[in-house]
Order: sequence, then C-alpha cells, then structure tokens
Amino acid sequence: MADTLPRTRFNPWPATVFTVLCVLAVLFLLPTVGVLLSSIKTTREISMGQLWSAPASLFLGNFTEVLGNPAVHRYFLNTLLVTLPATAVSITLGALAGYVFAKLPFRGSNALFLVIVAGMFFPPQVILVPLFRLFNGLGLIDTLWPVIIVHSALGLPICVLMMRNFFATVPNALREAAIMEGASEWQVLTRVVLPLSLPALAVLATLQFTWIWNDFLWPLIFTQSDTKRTIMIGIVNLKGQYSVAWGVQGALSLVASLPTLLVFLFFQRFFIKGMTMGAVKG
Amino acid sequence: MAQLQLSDLRKSFGQTDVIRGLNLDIADGEFVVFVGPSGCGKSTTLRMIAGLEDASAGAILLDGADVTRARPADRGIAMVFQSYALFPHLTVADNIGFGLQLQKLDRATIAARVADVAETLHLTPLLGRYPRELSGGQRQRVAIGRAIIRNPKVFLFDEPLSNLDAALRVQMRLEIARLHHRLGATMVYVTHDQVEAMTLADRIVVFNDGRIEQVGSPMELYDHPANRFVAGFIGAPSMNFLPLRRAEGRAESPGMAPAPLPPGKETATELGIRPEHLALATGTTGDLTGEIELIERLGAETYAYVRVPGQPADLTLRLPGDTTLRPGTPVTLTIDWPRARWFSSDGRVL
Repeated sequence: MADTLPRTRFNPWPATVFTVLCVLAVLFLLPTVGVLLSSIKTTREISMGQLWSAPASLFLGNFTEVLGNPAVHRYFLNTLLVTLPATAVSITLGALAGYVFAKLPFRGSNALFLVIVAGMFFPPQVILVPLFRLFNGLGLIDTLWPVIIVHSALGLPICVLMMRNFFATVPNALREAAIMEGASEWQVLTRVVLPLSLPALAVLATLQFTWIWNDFLWPLIFTQSDTKRTIMIGIVNLKGQYSVAWGVQGALSLVASLPTLLVFLFFQRFFIKGMTMGAVKG
Repeated sequence: MAQLQLSDLRKSFGQTDVIRGLNLDIADGEFVVFVGPSGCGKSTTLRMIAGLEDASAGAILLDGADVTRARPADRGIAMVFQSYALFPHLTVADNIGFGLQLQKLDRATIAARVADVAETLHLTPLLGRYPRELSGGQRQRVAIGRAIIRNPKVFLFDEPLSNLDAALRVQMRLEIARLHHRLGATMVYVTHDQVEAMTLADRIVVFNDGRIEQVGSPMELYDHPANRFVAGFIGAPSMNFLPLRRAEGRAESPGMAPAPLPPGKETATELGIRPEHLALATGTTGDLTGEIELIERLGAETYAYVRVPGQPADLTLRLPGDTTLRPGTPVTLTIDWPRARWFSSDGRVL
C-alpha cells in the first residue's frame, strides 16, 4: 500500500520563505532585545562589553532612576500635550473633509482631494526651513505649538484619504434614510456614518498616535529648552556628560514605547470588519 | 393624510432631460403605483417627491402647499428604500425610533410609540436585535416601522419587495395592502413588477422615457390602454401584436385570413390581441394558422407559443391547464374580434 502512494516531491519554497522570515524576524527583534538587555544591567556590566549576555542579576536601578527623574515626567507630559491634540485635530478634520469628499461631492472636489492627498509626498526636509522661519516670526519657537500645528497638518492627507475611502463604503441609502427621518448632515455624520467607521477611526488613531509620539524631527527643530522637549529627544538628552548611560537610555526607551503599545491594545478591538453587515440587502 | 399634486415637474441632469413635465393629482388616501421599464424616471420622480432629488422645474404640492424646495424632513413624507437602509449599529427599537430621537422627544414617549409600532408589525420580540440578526422580511418590516412611526402624510415605497424571494414577496405585498387599508394613508409605490402594480394599486401610472403614458385603475389600463406602449407593458404574458397591411377596406397580415376593418379603424397599422382573446378554432376555418412551438404549463393554465409563418414574433395563446397539445402540433386560431385593439402608426389606440 505504502509504495503505491505517489512520493510527494520536496517543495523548497515554503522552507525557503520560512527561513527568510525567521532571519528577518531575528534582525528586527535584535535591537529591541539589546535595549531590553541593557536596561536591566548596570552601567559597569555594559561598559565591560557584555552587551549581549544575560545579566548576572536583574538590575532595576535604571528603571527607578528613569521613573523618578522629574525631567522624564516633563518629557512625558510634553509628548502627551503634543500627541493628543494633534491626533484629535487631524482625525477630526480628516473625518469632516472625508465626509464631504465621499458623500457631498461638488464641482472640482476630486481635484481638490488629489491635491490634499499629494501633501503626503512632500518630504519634511523641504518644508523644514520655511516652517522654522514662519514659527520664529510668530514667536512660537521653543513652545509646543509649532509641533502640534505641524503634526495636525501633516496628518491631514492620510486622515482625509482613509476617512473618505471608508465613508465611500457606507451605503448612500443610509444617509438618505437618515435625512428622511429629519437628520442634518452633521447628524448623519455623527449618528450614522461615524459609528459605522470605528474600524477606520481606530486604525487612524493608532497610526497618528504612534507617528506623533515617536517623532524626533519636529520637536528637535521647534523646541530648545529641556522643559519643552518631548520624550524621544529626552532619550538622547539622558546621555551623561562624560559617558553614555546605556542602561538608563534603554530603560527610558522601553518606558517611552509603552503608551503606543497601550494605544494599540486599546484600539485593536475596533479593528473589526463587517460593521455594515445587514445595513442593506441581506 | 394628504393630497399630492405634481405640476409640470421636470428634472434634467446636465443636458439630459430625465423627467419631461409630469402632471399628476393623487387623492387623499389613494394607493398609486408607478410602473415602467428601467430608466423611465419613476424612481427619480419618487425621489423628487421625497426631496432627495431637486426638481429642475415645476412644483410639488402637498395639501395645496408648495413643498418643492422644502427639506425632506419638513415635508411629512416617509420613504421605504429598496435596500431597507436600516442603521446596522442600532437595534430594531433604535432604528424605528430614530426619527423621534432626532426630534428630541422624551424617552418614555419614544419607547411607548416604538412598542406600539412593533406590536402592529409583529416585531415586539425582535426589538433588541440588530439588523444583521434579522431575515429579509423582518428587515423590511423594520423599515416600514421606521416609516409609520412619525405618522407621515405620504408614504413612498421604492421597489420595497425586489430583494425578497417570491413567497415572501407575496406575503409582504399582502401586508402592505393591509397597512394601507388600516392607515388609510396616501401611498406612492414604485415597482417594475406589474403583478405588484395590478394587485396593490388604486391607480397605476405608467411611465416611459420621462413621461406619463397613462393613468388609470388597473383594469382600465388592462382593458382600455391608451396606446401601444401601455398595451404591451400591462399584462403578463404581454399582448400579441400583428402588423397590418390595408387592402380594399380589409386588414391583412401574414398567416391571417383577411378581415374587414371595423368603422373608425381604417388607419390601423397594427392589431393587438391579449393571449386570452385567442382561442383554438373548433372547425377548420379560423383567423390564424400556425404551429405550436413551445408549451409552458403553470398548473391552472397553460401558455402556448404559436409560430405563425411571416409574423415577426410568436403569438402567445392562453389555454386551460389540462390541455393535451404538444409542440409541433399545427393549430388554427380564432380572434375575439370585439376585444382586439387597433393601433395607428403613431401607437395610439383607434
């Protein structure tokens, strides 16, 4: 019986793909592992060159130092003060504009939509100097305002694009039914279309929050004093005057990435499909 | 309860005229059905009455008041959509009460009225469910519930049954008829299904190419169509049309024995005969001779498609259900002449 079975030929593809993926996973994870390892080692241990070895004992001093540092508290607060409003503003404006582009098109709205989306293709380096001069002229340098404004604006293209495309999938009949029931456009948006767009909102909130939280460039350009710095610049600032505090920096890197992880975990329950199921035609 | 009046209503999209001047009076409590082929403008007209589409010209009067430019919600009109258009994130109760919530009525009032409507539509056990948990017929009832809760003056239905299967469609058709009977409200109903039109309507409005071809009760349209379009559109299977040639006061057509032209029909170019007005000849003489090409048995009745040489299309003949005729049988047919319709070259009935 057994020898009548056709011998399956060895297919090298799945194995190759699997190997490549494993190698990539290791490459991507290595830095994180390195940071994790150095955060639980003493500076002495690290400076003795034992970067990749398991620590002799679990040292939590780096974390207590980071969490007890008032400057770090300030960095966290500043980052929140930038990230929350910028995320909210870009998503709100994106939803409003996206609704108009998807449901209330007007003459030239498609062209305008393309222009807005084209904003995504400007590298920040191109607009960096003019923006610095603009905010300098407005006297806003070394405040958080330019960072909030720039992030709100730079988030618009992706927010408008995503919201418009998602709103386009919400059947027009739902809008018309709501209007027949006496809803204004604002009520159609807030009571019908947005509740159906939670997946898109969750994706955007996660993206924008992570993007702005992790940003290094704009706070570096627009802020100068230590009390205005955000967390990513704070990590760099933590290097000692005479030495690089690897352990402390590692600890802060881990602590700094926690909020984005929490945001992702919070929003991922909205990453569900099929919200519009049953709306029209069964 | 309301009287609805359309006065020279027009709609154009750019250069294309979609509705070319409609005049129609709908009486209080009347059930009017718009029928016509796809793209004839019946749905556009309904959407203009609803206020979802702006009229390019003309007026819509509701109880004498001009509502042509009024917001949809201010017209006192409710609409049931072809796709039901239920809000998927709201329960049945919230879907039905949506309009009342927007009016900011207090919760107890809304709950009481929702319960009331649910009771009449047998939706009470489903109030806590979401639309995705309902069957097609239940969704349709929720859509109707959402329409009736505000006590609108006029109900609009846009092909409400076209997404249902055949058995459910018959059932819902009866429910809509009952609803009309109970509420006594003015209803305008769009369909392309002429069985729905014939069974539901007090009056049928036949649309074609953005114009009204004829308005009348179902039997009026069936027995006395104004023109060839209405004659062909109303009735299933549709009327048989025979092209005519006039010779010495007699009408000739391929395969047909020459027949004298009745007075007043001298200019006829086409003859229309409904399938039930053709019969198998008992003797050897008849009006038409041909051969049965196909037999369709529906149980209670049978339709035979008869190939008459020279005629552009097969003639449909209605027979009793137990007929023994088979395809290929040569037949001779007689025409019920008094009930035949004569059409002039421009399609008018003579």
